[in-house]
Amino acid sequence: MEVTLLIEAMDTSFGLLEDARKKAVELLDSAVKLTSETRGVEENKIQAILKGAQETKLEFLNVIATFLILFGFWVLLSGKYDFFHLTLGVICSLLVAFLNHDLLFANARVGDAKVIFQRFIAYIPWLLYQIVSSNIHVALVALSKNKPIDPRIIRFKTKLESDISWVTMANSITLTPGTITMDIKDGEFFVHALDKKVADDLNAGEMEDRVAHVFMEADHIYVQDVLDVAPIFGELRKGL
Amino acid sequence: MIQISDDIIIKTLARVLVPFIQLYALYVIMHGHHSPGGGFQGGVILGASLVLLVITHGLKGTQKRISEKSVAIFSSLGVLIYAGIGVLCLVLLGNFLDYSKLAILLSVPLAQARSLGILGVEIGVGLAVMAVMFSIFYNIATGGKQSEEDNN
Amino acid sequence: MDTFFLVIGMGLCILVLLVLYRVVYGPGVFNRVAALSAIGNKTLIILLIMGFVYHRVEMFIDISMVYALLNFIGTIAASKYLEMEGSIL
Repeated sequence: MEVTLLIEAMDTSFGLLEDARKKAVELLDSAVKLTSETRGVEENKIQAILKGAQETKLEFLNVIATFLILFGFWVLLSGKYDFFHLTLGVICSLLVAFLNHDLLFANARVGDAKVIFQRFIAYIPWLLYQIVSSNIHVALVALSKNKPIDPRIIRFKTKLESDISWVTMANSITLTPGTITMDIKDGEFFVHALDKKVADDLNAGEMEDRVAHVFMEADHIYVQDVLDVAPIFGELRKGL
Repeated sequence: MIQISDDIIIKTLARVLVPFIQLYALYVIMHGHHSPGGGFQGGVILGASLVLLVITHGLKGTQKRISEKSVAIFSSLGVLIYAGIGVLCLVLLGNFLDYSKLAILLSVPLAQARSLGILGVEIGVGLAVMAVMFSIFYNIATGGKQSEEDNN
Repeated sequence: MDTFFLVIGMGLCILVLLVLYRVVYGPGVFNRVAALSAIGNKTLIILLIMGFVYHRVEMFIDISMVYALLNFIGTIAASKYLEMEGSIL
């Protein structure tokens, strides 16, 4: 009697293990499918950024905006404000704006330009503070006796979405002493860092958050991540 | 298949900077009489901006903006402006490049006529220098082998 | 004020001589290109300081902007030439 009970118990437990194994295989399959779909979406996003940097749009508003910026630059350069020189400035700015109107604002969204400009002006003092503090750290390292450097190359993906924000991020990384952007390949940044402290400052991601805030991007990615992960968690919770 | 280059940092920086470089070159030409500059210097800076476009965006991308034919036309146009102002002064019964005779045509005081005459000549010089610089660079970089009909 | 700018200018000249060592003895050509770009940066500031010393800053700002431009384009052209082994385009 105990043997039959034992055999029945072993049968039920093997059945349960079999069910659990099938469910685990199903979850693994769906996880693999989701990662390959995400990778496909990532590839499309990067191709769209590179192609968008190449094609440029033809708009009348582009000409007007370029003309205003160039005329402001002319007035800043030239110290003379009489009628003759200002007329020359208007003619020259119009000429350059007509020939190059698709260069300055290649894929800009019309309504956001003012907000982006103000946020960019507010970003510069924080960048200056970072430059000064990294400068002091690197100078202390270089002037010490045994030079505790630990050079390494970091490689990371960012959540930024347009080529101007990529370039702003790369320039900010190169301007702060201790880190240099080597390359951007396939949407990944390759950064050479001098020692562990500057590498940790970069990996913490504060600069990336601030640049995304300046160009008004990557505010919706977090919601999408949660929506992607929720089905897997739901299945696991049901099976247990 | 479009060749998408991987140097996206240099491409973006070059495309943002080129309008400012060209405006600075025009400023240097126009203010030749009271700050360092003039026709030849502004023409060199204009040629340098075109060279920057060719280096970063490739030859085909730049030829959509300024073809080889228009470069040849610009060089001749610059010399035409220079010699044309000289001949205009001859026609108005003066010497060759005697700008004071332009005062009759434009009805301005004598000193300002000379200043405007020099400004016109500098513009002609700037155009010619830009065109010649770009075509020298183009011919040396492609080794004289690549012509417009070969690009497809 | 003039003495202050003069002393800073001389300090920058000494720094240029230090970087010149890397131009002459740098093993390989990439070290030399990077050192030339650094010398170009310091030359820019020395030009501006000379403008302050001669009390004619407006003239020297134009000259230093042109030099910055030529340094930028020259460094890009040199590194493209070295990367593609003989051609620029």
